[in-house]
Amino acid sequence: MEQAMLRRKFDTERTGYKSQCSREQIYKAEKGDTMVQSKKQKYLFLAFCLVPTMIMFSIFTLYPLFNGLYYSLFSWSGSSSAAEFTGMNNYVKLFNDSIIPRTIFHDYFLVVTKVFGIMILATFFAVALTQLRIKEAPFYRIVFFFPNIMSVVVIGILWSFIYNPSLGLINSGLELVGLDSWTRPWLGSEDWALPSLVLPSVWAGIGLFMLMLMGGISNVSKSYYEAAEIDGATEWQQFWKVTLPLIWPQIKISILYIVITTLNGSFIIVQVMTGGGPNNATHVMGSYLYQQAFQQYNFGYGATIGVMILILSLITVLIMQFFMKREKVEY
Amino acid sequence: MKKLLSRIVIRLPLILWAIAVIYPILWMFIGAFKSNAEIYANPWGLPHVFNFQNFSQAWNDYNIDTSVFNSLIVTVVGALLTLIMAIPTAYALERIVFKGNRFLFTLYISAMMIPTVLGWIPLFFLLMQLNLLDNIFGLSIVYAVSQLPFSIFVLTSFMGTIPKALEESAAMDGLSPYGVLWKIITPLSMTGIITVTIMNAIQFWNEYFMALIFLQSEENYTLALAIDYISNEAEYTNAWGTLFASLAIAIIPVIVLYAIFQRRISKGMTEGAIKG
Repeated sequence: MEQAMLRRKFDTERTGYKSQCSREQIYKAEKGDTMVQSKKQKYLFLAFCLVPTMIMFSIFTLYPLFNGLYYSLFSWSGSSSAAEFTGMNNYVKLFNDSIIPRTIFHDYFLVVTKVFGIMILATFFAVALTQLRIKEAPFYRIVFFFPNIMSVVVIGILWSFIYNPSLGLINSGLELVGLDSWTRPWLGSEDWALPSLVLPSVWAGIGLFMLMLMGGISNVSKSYYEAAEIDGATEWQQFWKVTLPLIWPQIKISILYIVITTLNGSFIIVQVMTGGGPNNATHVMGSYLYQQAFQQYNFGYGATIGVMILILSLITVLIMQFFMKREKVEY
Repeated sequence: MKKLLSRIVIRLPLILWAIAVIYPILWMFIGAFKSNAEIYANPWGLPHVFNFQNFSQAWNDYNIDTSVFNSLIVTVVGALLTLIMAIPTAYALERIVFKGNRFLFTLYISAMMIPTVLGWIPLFFLLMQLNLLDNIFGLSIVYAVSQLPFSIFVLTSFMGTIPKALEESAAMDGLSPYGVLWKIITPLSMTGIITVTIMNAIQFWNEYFMALIFLQSEENYTLALAIDYISNEAEYTNAWGTLFASLAIAIIPVIVLYAIFQRRISKGMTEGAIKG
């Protein structure tokens, strides 16, 4: 369908090859034939540029997404003959599955804690590194960003060690300062496993958002701060009244970005660190989809969970955009 | 005095966070040189003697060599494929006026925001039908397409900065549009192409979940899968030293790339996030 639409576009296309082509056309206008040919050539070139990529994109991204919606109406264990159309049965099952509300809650728990954890620390670091002439600021910038390009597998395994009940840094540290009673099998405890996943996510994510906010702060004109200083505003007031409103666009984008990437990708760190356990205490929607589809071969039900993820993340983004409409402040 | 105190107070969180970032990574490298007995006796300190046994064990007994090779292939093939697909499309979307230009650009960009998990189930069966399941080249194609939106997005913004006059005069001199794309635009947007390629390469080298779904046999495992496998095994074999050695092998290329292209990488990622 995609290709047909494209082809129709090429056929009805009338506009030129931007300024370059129109000049070429004037140049060649005397010979009417060549103009037709150059137009044909333009479409050929356009097709050469767009069609192969579009075909690949349609096959490997668009088709699977739409097909996923379709699969969610089937009960299917993988072998092609056994696919059975069951209509809304998978959706009924979804609403009656007692694990589903838990996975949704876990996802949003991670979203909220990550937004607060990352934004508070990233804002503090961004302000500290830009406003308070610190000589070694580039060092911090480089170090803080590095975890952003580490593999989730490496991050997950590294942090599993930090949380390790007997060898781990956290329990050893607690014992060292005499808080033996606080030690626990972090990832093995039903109450503590999920909160324990927040720290690695914040650790891995902070650098990117710090840089985004630093970009915003460095665009704020120095004259605002000079004016604020003359008016006798303290540094704290300057932060609340000048910096924060002026970098609101960056803060808004950062929050949206954290929400989207968490809803679409939190299952990776869950899969590496806990696999959804203990006793489903850390399952998020994505890891539950993986378990249902690729470990228990309920592909139809897995697709239904996928549709739920799609709908929930679209709704969340829409709601957030509505509530964060506060426009950029102009002084 | 007060000033000095406030300077220390401000710096303290910075220093603590820097330690929190560096120490675990450093510790992973140190662990790679420790014997198992030492890891148990003194998990967070320095080793008495540096031994490379863990590395050779990972390399030989756990087939890390095959996984490194597979990861390299997936990374290189994936990054090249992305460029082949993204450069012409980015050029057409940035420079050629045609109906649907805006729509097509929005379509690609919005794919960055949509959760792709849903697509992975049909993709699994699609690859099976195409005989590309459990195949590192199949995975390379999936990787390349998955990074298309990001790559097109960054490349169009780079190409937008090239003066149009250059293409116009080249076209006047009789260069075909294909020639313009290949001989003028591609060399001039090399900065953007390099940025995109580094980002994609790191992404493909690190990727875990799609590999987990689309690869099955051990001889096809990428590094991320092999490490995950060793990590799960280590609960029974206690081969922690080997695990650290393989983690170190996985992270060293990323550190090297980061050391060389630090500015490009952080700039590329920040801009990708801001405008996406």
